[in-house]
Amino acid sequence: MTPPGGITATTSPEALSTELPVGRSTGWWGMVLFVTTEATLFACLLGSYFYLRFQYGPQWPPGDIPDPALLRPLVMTAVLVPSSLPMLWAERGLRRGQLWRVRAGLTASMLLGLTFLALQATEYAELLTEFTLTTNAYGSLFYVITGFHGLHVLIGATMIAWALTTTRGGLDARRDDRVRNVAIYWHFVDIVWLGILFTIYLSPRL
Amino acid sequence: MSIVDTPAPGADRADLDRLDANWAERPSLRSFLTTVDHKRIGRRYLVTAAVFFALAGISALLMRTQLANPGGDLLSPEQYNQLFTMHGTAMIFLFATPMLFGFGNFLVPLMIGSRDMAFPRLNAFGYWVFLFAGIFMWASLPFGAAPNGGWFAYVPLTGGQATPGLHLDVYALGLLFLGVSTTAGAINFIVTALKMRAPGMSLNRLPLFVWAIVATAFMVIFALPALNLDNAMLFLDRRFGAGFFDPAAGGNVLLWQHLFWIFGHPDVYIIVMPGLGIVSAVLPAFTRRGVVGYPLIVLAIVAIAIISFGVWAHHMFAVGLPQVSYGFFSAASSIITIPSGIQIFAWLATMLLGRLVLRTPLLFVIGFIITFVLGGVTGAMFALTAFDQQVTDSYFVVAHFHYVLVGGAVFPILAGIYHWLPKITGRMYAERLGRWAFWLVFAGMHITFFPMHLYGLFGMPRRVYTYPAGLEWDGWNLVSTVGAYVLAVGFLVVVVGVVHAIRRGRPAPPDPWGGDTLEWSTDSPPPAYNFPVVPRVHSLHPTWDARTAESTGPGATADRVLSEGRRTPLTSELDGRYERPVEMPEASVKPLVLALALLALFVSLLFAWYPVAAAAVAVVAGTVAAWLWPGRRPEART
Amino acid sequence: MSAAPGHRARLAGGLLAWYGVLGGAVAWAVHLFVGWGVDELTCAAGIHRVAGLPPRAVIGLAVVVPALVTVGALLAAVLTWRRTGRPARAGGDPRFARARMLALLGIWGNLLFLAIIVLGGIAVLVLPSCH
Repeated sequence: MTPPGGITATTSPEALSTELPVGRSTGWWGMVLFVTTEATLFACLLGSYFYLRFQYGPQWPPGDIPDPALLRPLVMTAVLVPSSLPMLWAERGLRRGQLWRVRAGLTASMLLGLTFLALQATEYAELLTEFTLTTNAYGSLFYVITGFHGLHVLIGATMIAWALTTTRGGLDARRDDRVRNVAIYWHFVDIVWLGILFTIYLSPRL
Repeated sequence: MSIVDTPAPGADRADLDRLDANWAERPSLRSFLTTVDHKRIGRRYLVTAAVFFALAGISALLMRTQLANPGGDLLSPEQYNQLFTMHGTAMIFLFATPMLFGFGNFLVPLMIGSRDMAFPRLNAFGYWVFLFAGIFMWASLPFGAAPNGGWFAYVPLTGGQATPGLHLDVYALGLLFLGVSTTAGAINFIVTALKMRAPGMSLNRLPLFVWAIVATAFMVIFALPALNLDNAMLFLDRRFGAGFFDPAAGGNVLLWQHLFWIFGHPDVYIIVMPGLGIVSAVLPAFTRRGVVGYPLIVLAIVAIAIISFGVWAHHMFAVGLPQVSYGFFSAASSIITIPSGIQIFAWLATMLLGRLVLRTPLLFVIGFIITFVLGGVTGAMFALTAFDQQVTDSYFVVAHFHYVLVGGAVFPILAGIYHWLPKITGRMYAERLGRWAFWLVFAGMHITFFPMHLYGLFGMPRRVYTYPAGLEWDGWNLVSTVGAYVLAVGFLVVVVGVVHAIRRGRPAPPDPWGGDTLEWSTDSPPPAYNFPVVPRVHSLHPTWDARTAESTGPGATADRVLSEGRRTPLTSELDGRYERPVEMPEASVKPLVLALALLALFVSLLFAWYPVAAAAVAVVAGTVAAWLWPGRRPEART
Repeated sequence: MSAAPGHRARLAGGLLAWYGVLGGAVAWAVHLFVGWGVDELTCAAGIHRVAGLPPRAVIGLAVVVPALVTVGALLAAVLTWRRTGRPARAGGDPRFARARMLALLGIWGNLLFLAIIVLGGIAVLVLPSCH
């Protein structure tokens, strides 16, 4: 017999008093809260961008700075966002205790992250000839927002490298926990990029 | 070191010996630097915050001495600017929040029936960072390089052109450094309250103090990033010529104010909320009944924590925003008074319905209610925009927020000190000294700050280092100064009382007040492992509840004794169902090393020694990597 | 009592209960953010249309939609409160009492947030949007 579903079951006292969330480890909660406060920081950064932009007036980016080029950031998106997939694949590997799969997934995510950083470096090399942090508020916002995110990718890649090292001798509960936390951080860094792509690269064209 | 003489019946002598061997620390320099015991760390927070309070208080006394008479010349304008800035910054960031985090650190694990915080080493790290950040900021004062732009440091006054020198770099970097500690502490409190509660302590049995600490921690999680970003931008503007706040470069000075008050208004509640939690924890013991309306107080705590994020613009009514926007913020500002009122009336009802035991902690609670309500009355007056614009930046504002903060934080803290002194030190304080302290502090507070309403209305602006005679301000300023010295004597009597208790006080029983929460069901001071047997909680007032007491008696199950290794139970998030025991970390020097590396990072950023900063970052990364290394294997997979 | 609800029903029921507790708070946050943001930014930049609508209409939507969401959360909280009443009084599993307390928080909390949103709506009706 299948358990009852539908509205009646959903609004039964048993269903309404379901314990949710439940059964997470302290490490999981710690990382989720850390990511939450980091996400708030990025929200404040992007909020500051829009605040300064709309307070500035119709001409944006200001001065002689052209609208940001789109091709490279889109390629960077295509590199970074899919890097969460091997990470998810590695997390499934954890559940089955497949060490090779965990290691392969982590390595793939890390390489994609490093590719993203290399692309960002070429972008900076080009743009720094046009405007810098000190050119105007737009320059400050551009470099601080993208640079702060790039720093997160770098930290994330370092964390993955560290997690890979911890799995040299195999997996156990502690190592599983570390890999899961690294994964949470990595997914966060990927998702934040979408907000940055929209704010920095797409919104000036709207 | 506490060897219990009569073993708790649920744990036999062998269990206690094992617990002691696994948890207790010999007093030594090594254990001083490496301890992760939440009780030792909590005590350190309390003492360190008290020292910063004394420094900030002395700054205030110097200012009051200068202002006692017209034309005072004790301090130069530059010194005065640095003193009032350090006074405000230290009271807000280095005293109020860390002091309340100190109570939280000591009490939260005891109140929820755990043997430590969820992340004991993170806890130690948070303390060291707080200590170093405090020293970092205070050390600038003797060199005449202390922050000097007021505690909210508005640009453009605090920009590189208007204020050259290190002053505001110390402010921005010091607060960023301190933010690391506050964030770590907040995460630790939330996870501890979610996962480490004794079995059976479902959310509807969580003590109000813990609710208050958790709500505060959530406010820190969501509010502090705004301040951190603000300070990072200020530092980038000043040091590297970024243009966030520079109108000539397309920046905007109001961005500082928005970000600052998005943090700043929740911060008022971050400061006051744990104080209100202390009041809710102290009242049951001295009224002989539970606080009236538990769910309503929880509602008030949660609602205030959320709504406080939507009222920031009322600090900026003098700035000029669109009217409809004002409407949104005014709506939230008016409604937030409802949960605040609920709390006050719940406490009054508790006192009316209970049997009052008029001892020092209750005196301070009563002092809190009177002072805080007076501060609330002047607060409501600011809601009239016309009045607000008239008194903005006058001493009336100074009077208002001292009533709110001294009333809402300092009085509850003092109530808490006397209430938990027997638990923390294992000694009783002298009641007479306590009463003297109360009356001196209460009288001193009102003599100092009440006249400020008057000369504020008479037009005296805040933050002036002196004033000419003949403006009707002179006599009242002298009254304030006299009051400030009375207040200082009062605090001195508090210190004398604490030292006297530690040196001469008679030993405290486990439960001197007949309190209702779990900290009163273990020894005073508690053993290193807190509870010989982790209790099973059956009600909101576990220490008054016979079934909870029985749960630690004979027949206590082995899964709550856990005497092998350093272990404590992990329970489920909402209902506190027993999940599994967890192994807790041992003492470690890594938290100290990491905090020192961060100190090196911030000092080198301040003095622009960037290669040293890079090296410090490498040490930070290496220490974190070693800290989180999974360690010995194998452990069973779950 | 009928058979225990299935996994999906329990997940949905738990989420419904949380919507009852926090729905009003989230709706108010969205209301404030969108309302203030649109008002402040359109006034400052002198924009007269947002996604084809006049700013005032957008702000009006930022009042009405969150208000409806809050009413929904209020109903969900009342439902949880009523349904868990009997099992909570019967004693036994403490989770019913816990769910009931959270529902009570939701009822009062949603009323507070509804009041704030409605007051904001009055401000939109009586005040000029830019000044």
